[in-house]
Amino acid sequence: MRDDIFTYIIGGKAGQGTKKAGLVAANFFADMKRYVFQMNDYPSLIRGGQNFSVVSTSLSKIYSHYMDADLVVALDRQTYEIHKHHVNKNGLMVFNSDKITKGGIGLAISSQAQQYENSDLIEGVAGIAVLAAFLRIPKTHLQRVVKQEYGQKNKDNQRFAETIYDEADHKIPKKRQLKSGKQKKPILTGSETIGFGAVAAGLDLYFAYPMTPSTPVLHFFAQNGKRLGVVAIQPENEIAVANMAIGATVTGARSMVGTSGGGFCLMQEAFSLAGMTEAPVLFFIGQRPGPSTGVPTYTEQGELLFSLYPGQGEFPRIVASPGNIEEAYYLTAELLNLIWRFQTPGILLSEKHLCESSMSVRLNPYNTHWETPKLSTSKHYQRYKFTHTGVSPLLFPPSNQLINWNSYEHDEAGFTTEEADVIARMHEKRQLKSEQLQEYLKKHVKTVNVFGNGSPYIFTFGSTTMSVLEALRYINKKATVIQPIYLQPFPSWELKKYQKREKTVVVEQNITGQLQQLLKEKIGIEPALSIRQYNGRPFDPIDLGTKLQEVT
Amino acid sequence: MEKNLTTTAEITWCPGCGNFGILNALKKTVKELEKQGVKQNQIIITTGIGCHGKIFDYIPLSGMYSIHGRSIATAQGIKLGNPSLTVVAFAGDGDAYGEGIAHLIFAAKRNADITVVVHNNGAYALTTGQFSPTSKKGFKGPSSPQGSVEQPLNPLGLILEAGASFVARGYAGNINHLSSLLTEAMLHKGFSIVDVLQPSVVFNNTYSLYNEITEVIPKPARSYDDALILAKKMDKKLPLGVFYKVHKSVFHEELMGDWNPVTKRKQKNQRLKIIKKMITYE
Repeated sequence: MRDDIFTYIIGGKAGQGTKKAGLVAANFFADMKRYVFQMNDYPSLIRGGQNFSVVSTSLSKIYSHYMDADLVVALDRQTYEIHKHHVNKNGLMVFNSDKITKGGIGLAISSQAQQYENSDLIEGVAGIAVLAAFLRIPKTHLQRVVKQEYGQKNKDNQRFAETIYDEADHKIPKKRQLKSGKQKKPILTGSETIGFGAVAAGLDLYFAYPMTPSTPVLHFFAQNGKRLGVVAIQPENEIAVANMAIGATVTGARSMVGTSGGGFCLMQEAFSLAGMTEAPVLFFIGQRPGPSTGVPTYTEQGELLFSLYPGQGEFPRIVASPGNIEEAYYLTAELLNLIWRFQTPGILLSEKHLCESSMSVRLNPYNTHWETPKLSTSKHYQRYKFTHTGVSPLLFPPSNQLINWNSYEHDEAGFTTEEADVIARMHEKRQLKSEQLQEYLKKHVKTVNVFGNGSPYIFTFGSTTMSVLEALRYINKKATVIQPIYLQPFPSWELKKYQKREKTVVVEQNITGQLQQLLKEKIGIEPALSIRQYNGRPFDPIDLGTKLQEVT
Repeated sequence: MEKNLTTTAEITWCPGCGNFGILNALKKTVKELEKQGVKQNQIIITTGIGCHGKIFDYIPLSGMYSIHGRSIATAQGIKLGNPSLTVVAFAGDGDAYGEGIAHLIFAAKRNADITVVVHNNGAYALTTGQFSPTSKKGFKGPSSPQGSVEQPLNPLGLILEAGASFVARGYAGNINHLSSLLTEAMLHKGFSIVDVLQPSVVFNNTYSLYNEITEVIPKPARSYDDALILAKKMDKKLPLGVFYKVHKSVFHEELMGDWNPVTKRKQKNQRLKIIKKMITYE
């Protein structure tokens, strides 16, 4: 059991500012030099519904939020009902006594807030004030944070926070104090680390059509692009997004697109075009529950197999999925370099849980590469020249040489062809790139993460890795966690080392067991236990830990 | 680059096809632009898929033979990657007015600084002559043996409404005039479209019709409303020429000022320094 964890949940209706309050709470903990994991749960609407933000903090690295709460602040009745079972035995429920009348400590949050303008907006501030009072955080610190975080409606928010702080301080009988850690760590979302990673590897243009949960990356570049040297573009649809990105690569610009499964369906045509023209575009997919519109603001891993084989025809592609928010930084940079090295499209596969959750990270931004391609110096340039690696040298306009990129099957110079011999040789050229890519991954790239040792072997991928690691820490159980980072080419050469075990578990967030299918197909693994969750919610480490405990 | 503007590719258009007129007009334009300071190596082209797209193989200009309907999107990506290039998207009527019509409308709406040349033959020729977005009602093809039941689209009226800053119609049978339109369109800063009436000798032979009914207008309409009237003239006399031309701010400059992603790129250490500043408390 981890007893160093403190969990705070704030819930209310959309528009009450719970997400922001969660973020501010996370910053409180960061100020205490503690590790934080924050997850936002919200429905797909702008006003109403039920939102909550959960923040768990610890003195050591933490990979997941917990639903077992030490403090719940319920701004509305629904939050109270949903989360009353989450309050742990030493925990406290603080509720809005204007909306609920019994069971915990009631504060007149709404009627206090209504004394100011924009009362809806500032109710989340009450959650921060309650947290500060509960943790004996000095009022001056609260004032400073509220002033900084809720700048615009400054005075109202500050006075409101103080009132609630005083009332909470008075009414909460048993307060808590958290130990401080050693060094202040930044808190970043997966979307931010993906964005920074792309910048580190030289991204020039980011194209996206809004689609949850990939949109925060678009926002990231729209807000910070100028500073970082990246332009964010929002075209008319996903088809334009992908085709513009491919066009940009003709000039040598590094381009990336972002979407979710539905948008990626529209991009498949362009994905295949990128394969044929050998255009290195990075496609970022943030998964949410499908099929179809599905559940836009929740999490799932239902597009694993889809992401391995999109697009008509046969061509090399690289697919990888980061196992945590830090890894997303390094992996995005690595993928961008790999697709340029092999001139083929790649997919960064992630989920809402990674994209929109935030975590304390310790990143070394310098621990990345940015490989710039060697340009052709030939006097007779050929875009698709045959080479011993299958990779042809690049050349960008303006040039006095003819640079032909072609979606039709083509000859070395890029002219359209229907010649049997050339068709076969071009297939072989692309196939050679596939083989070279696999060889390169084998020799130079960390394709699988392995955590811990001993039995059982737990296979997982993507953001579920965070849930598994945290669950194991919670139950304090020995296990080997095996996370394929690369999914295409599939790193069978690494995974084969973990083949001969009876006690194998596969943990993933989909109903058909796509990782399990892949493991069986590629390396013949048949697990003793499959743990699958497909309700749109990320695993809770205690629930998952209980299931893992059963494996002996 | 090839001075005589030919390539090694064998030309497979039907003898007499209107596409020859467009290719020849384009060659004249490339030479004319050279005189006006736009070098051949600065001109980048994209094409869609269809008979028109073969022009990619027949003219020694760099670019991308893109996919059906997407040449306008590809072209905009090239322009955003390196705004110093002159980018021309070739498209068929099926490409521009059917499969990829959203890209056309939005390129005009945002005044993307590219030129779109539509080889408008009113038929899907490469797939053996089905009706296209601009086919007349009653057009008989393998998918409409009793005649198409749909009214044709009026592309230039639509594109004016969308916000294009340069709208022209040319005719593949009038090469000199077409070439002057292409030159003017490519020199125009902003979104320009030249809809080219292109006879298909096999599937929609309109030479004698267009020879009879087309009429060159001397100068653009005086107002947007007059341009719309010109664009909406669909029978009797079909006007050729620049219908509308106006100066408007262009997309890439609105979006990124004088930034050029590939020539002004922020280098590695600059970027890492900023990242470090943004993610650490040091």
